[in-house]
Amino acid sequence: MKNILYTLLSLLLLASCAESVKDAKQENTQPRIYPDYLGVTIPVNIAPLCFSMDDEKALCVDAIVTDKHGHELHSQGEESVEFDIDDWHDLLNQNRGESLNITVSAKYEDGWHTYRPFSIQISKDSIDYGICYRLIEPGYEVWSKMGIYERDLSSFDERALIENTQFEGCVNCHSFNRGNPAEMSLHIRGPHGATLLRQDDGSVIAYNTKTDKTLGFCVYPYWHPSGRYIAYSTNSTSQLFHSAHPNRVEVFDTASDLQVYDVKTNQLILSPLLKKDDVYETYPVFSADGRSLYFCSAKALPEDSHKLDSLHYNLCRIDFDPATGKFGNRIDTIINAEALNKSISFPRPSYDGRFLCYTLSDYGQFSIWHHEADLYMLDLATGESRPMTQANSKDTESFHNWSTNSRWIVFSSRRDDGLFTRPYFCHVDSKCNVSKAFMLPQRNPRRFYQDRFLSFNVPDFIIAPTHFNGNKASQVINNKYRKDFVVR
Amino acid sequence: MKNLHFVFTLIFGLAVFLFFGLAYPHHLHYQEQYQLFLFDSTYVWDIIKLPGGFADLLGRFCTQFFLFSWIGSLIIGILLASIQLLTLRTVSWGRLYGLSFVPAFLLWYFLLDENALLGGIWAVLLTLLTSCIFDKFHDGLVRRVLLIVFIPILYWISGPVSILLLLLQAPNPKKTVKYYGVFAIFAALLVVLSLFIPVAPKSLWYGIHYYRYPATFPTLLWVAVLSVFILVLFTRCLLNWANASSRYIIHILSFVLIFLGMGFFLWKTSNFKAEKAMQYDFMASHQQWNRIIETINTEKPNNQIGVTVQNLALAMRGMLPDYMFQFNQNGMAGLLPDVQSDATSPIPTAEALYQLGMITVAQRTVFEAQEAIMDFQKSARCYKRLAETNLILGSYKVSRKYLMTLQKTMFYSDWANETLQLLDNEKALAKHPEYGRLRKMAYAKDFYFSDRVTPQMLEDLFLHNKSNRLAYDYLMASYLLTGDLENFANSVGWGEKLGYKTIPRHFQEALVLYWSLNHESNKMMSAQINPEVAQHFRQFVQFLNSPMASQEGLRQNYGGTYWYYYSTIKQ
Repeated sequence: MKNILYTLLSLLLLASCAESVKDAKQENTQPRIYPDYLGVTIPVNIAPLCFSMDDEKALCVDAIVTDKHGHELHSQGEESVEFDIDDWHDLLNQNRGESLNITVSAKYEDGWHTYRPFSIQISKDSIDYGICYRLIEPGYEVWSKMGIYERDLSSFDERALIENTQFEGCVNCHSFNRGNPAEMSLHIRGPHGATLLRQDDGSVIAYNTKTDKTLGFCVYPYWHPSGRYIAYSTNSTSQLFHSAHPNRVEVFDTASDLQVYDVKTNQLILSPLLKKDDVYETYPVFSADGRSLYFCSAKALPEDSHKLDSLHYNLCRIDFDPATGKFGNRIDTIINAEALNKSISFPRPSYDGRFLCYTLSDYGQFSIWHHEADLYMLDLATGESRPMTQANSKDTESFHNWSTNSRWIVFSSRRDDGLFTRPYFCHVDSKCNVSKAFMLPQRNPRRFYQDRFLSFNVPDFIIAPTHFNGNKASQVINNKYRKDFVVR
Repeated sequence: MKNLHFVFTLIFGLAVFLFFGLAYPHHLHYQEQYQLFLFDSTYVWDIIKLPGGFADLLGRFCTQFFLFSWIGSLIIGILLASIQLLTLRTVSWGRLYGLSFVPAFLLWYFLLDENALLGGIWAVLLTLLTSCIFDKFHDGLVRRVLLIVFIPILYWISGPVSILLLLLQAPNPKKTVKYYGVFAIFAALLVVLSLFIPVAPKSLWYGIHYYRYPATFPTLLWVAVLSVFILVLFTRCLLNWANASSRYIIHILSFVLIFLGMGFFLWKTSNFKAEKAMQYDFMASHQQWNRIIETINTEKPNNQIGVTVQNLALAMRGMLPDYMFQFNQNGMAGLLPDVQSDATSPIPTAEALYQLGMITVAQRTVFEAQEAIMDFQKSARCYKRLAETNLILGSYKVSRKYLMTLQKTMFYSDWANETLQLLDNEKALAKHPEYGRLRKMAYAKDFYFSDRVTPQMLEDLFLHNKSNRLAYDYLMASYLLTGDLENFANSVGWGEKLGYKTIPRHFQEALVLYWSLNHESNKMMSAQINPEVAQHFRQFVQFLNSPMASQEGLRQNYGGTYWYYYSTIKQ
């Protein structure tokens, strides 16, 4: 229904701004458009890159997309150009591995201006079906309406998996095994708190993950590639607010440990090496082969200390034997961020085992509230680490993950306005060349992102529609039954 | 008779209008404050895509006019009078004419609750209107088919109160059992819907947005809805008796009886305490400091919101150090209360934080309050304040986002357009009487804060900008309210350069008390202390040491002094 309305509206807009570009003044510069799609690399199956002029004074915007084979795609609109979705996909498929040229003209009060064309590169590497994210206002402790949503990357379709209108509480930490929605983990917080697990048979079970031998409820999840294990952290988290600082909030742990949950036996596997009182361990992730567990680790602050800028998390690793579910007896420090006076969060290894992408900020582990946070790439073969300059911006880059072919990264960034998080994508080739990032396409991106007062939280790839039944899940949530985690 | 009925309806509507206009205007302001009606297709779609959405949309549209309480009162008066007229048409009431006012009165009761939403009233009105339209059709296949078709349509327009249509359209009592089989269709419809609509399934049965708290059953609304059916059934049973006489006096009597009876209970159940608190909040939001002071002089506030606003108004007019203890105080909870996670209580606190120059603290407080609105609506007042705080802090892109949304409102768009001109305009902002001043006051030194404003935070604020008299007054007040005379005495001298011609009265009282407690009474002879204050204090000490000394005696003789307040907190 909404699609029909949008189509009708678009037709109406198109009708009101359908004119030929006449007597245009030829500009020597490339156009400034919103979102900035100039020179980006995109997957062949991405939704149309609709855009507006950046300055908002344009009365009409016109774009002609051409390829080397003589094909052409044209769109014109008052606020934004909007390419026909089928024609767009045809054009991209015909130009896989090649580039497209886009000529933009904009009508201002003094008439039409035509800008120098810019190009976009069509990668041979396709991107996964979609992304899944939480939509929530970028606030502090209280939440309003929020939920978990999925978005088809080849179109503009967005669907709610579950919203907090269906139960009392909040929902967070959605996680999939390599983007496979058949294996999924989700936390519910509030009076109906639970961890929902969905496995191959599609059933959703609500778990109580709190045990008397762990710190509390399980928090940050990561699936083992076999699907048998899920690594979780447990965190005692607090918040403090800045009185005069560009970063508004500090979210920090006062204690945190790691454990691995064995889905098959319903047992939590603990290790004394991963639950030290004088160390905060968090953000566990399995390596691509499932034989290592990477995580972030920092020296604990003295009790009641608020010297949060002295919290520096290193990237560490411990062996893990999937056959027995046993940890190794040694922790290796992979990147000593503390020595650089920096801090690492969200390590994410590529699924081909080549790279590990992480966020580097000045201190702490909740990098979304740190304007200085940037993405870095670790080459797991050479051990070399470098900033993802092409993807980074002056503002926050934080959560990220890989597509299942390990060629695309989706990440959250606050570069748009410094507060509201948007999903961006960049391409990473086999030599670790990172392309310029592009924003998640929308039908009328300026209007869409202006009207949406919600942050895209934890954007992660999914390989297919989740078919998650929020109503059935809410019945499970509202039911008092919880299956308890058992400590091995 | 028809004209007489019209006059009675007019009297009823007028009573509603006067009640909300004179006795309950701030409940209307409260309602308006917790929504943000936008002339925007996405906003409208998000409302009407849910069952009851059309009634909800009409309710929200009307609620935006509650900014002007007399217009709001007029709207409610017209709606309730219309419901009474529609109820009147459902059956021939005869001698029982007065009963036709009962549902409208019950809805009036419903609206006494600040969380009752106008969408519920619209839902009832639209359902009764539909029923009246159906009454025009003769019973037959067409009417029955139309009824079946209209069940889902009306459900989508009005929500579950549309069940009243089925109840009222029962052909006759003999056929009711068969007829009520239609309820099965209604129920099946809801069960199917619950599989697709992302709301708590039970709210499909009692209404998604008739009441601000989604998990709360709107009892009074449903009592009103069912009362229509029960009263109509009752009247149908007594149809011959009820219509045996058409004497005016019977109609007048039944009207007067219901009007006075229900009116009496309505007045008794009205929450005038809440109205008073809302009045203080309203005056603070409109920065009506003189009006607040006039109001507190008439009746001293004794609730947290009232005391917070009272202290802010006194401070804004430079009267806090001289007069604060002539009014009720309840420690820091009445000056800068701890921020709670609800939508109402933090708002006046945020107003004080904003005026003090604690912009980041105010921003966080307002944001959290808005997030806590139970039905997930947004607030025009909060959007304005968030636009302002981001503007003052230089986050122009974020400020712009709020302002551009306010441009889509009926009553805030002019303000938004004006404020948009200030974005990125440093010179204009510096010259702005409010934003320029607050920018200078805002913290420069970073520290962490949580839910509680501490004297240290006030001290940092003042020491950052020593012309911030409000911060100084609040800092001193915080010491006095917590009985921290040591810090008070050490800091009171900071006020010398703030333009005080003499030391304010309560500060003098606190100083002489402090000196007395520290055996430095000789300092009382200082030129800074008014001899009257010193003399009054000696009398206070004598009274304390006299056999007549009692708390009540203290209150009567020294109730407006800091000494009395100090004695209460040191008990």
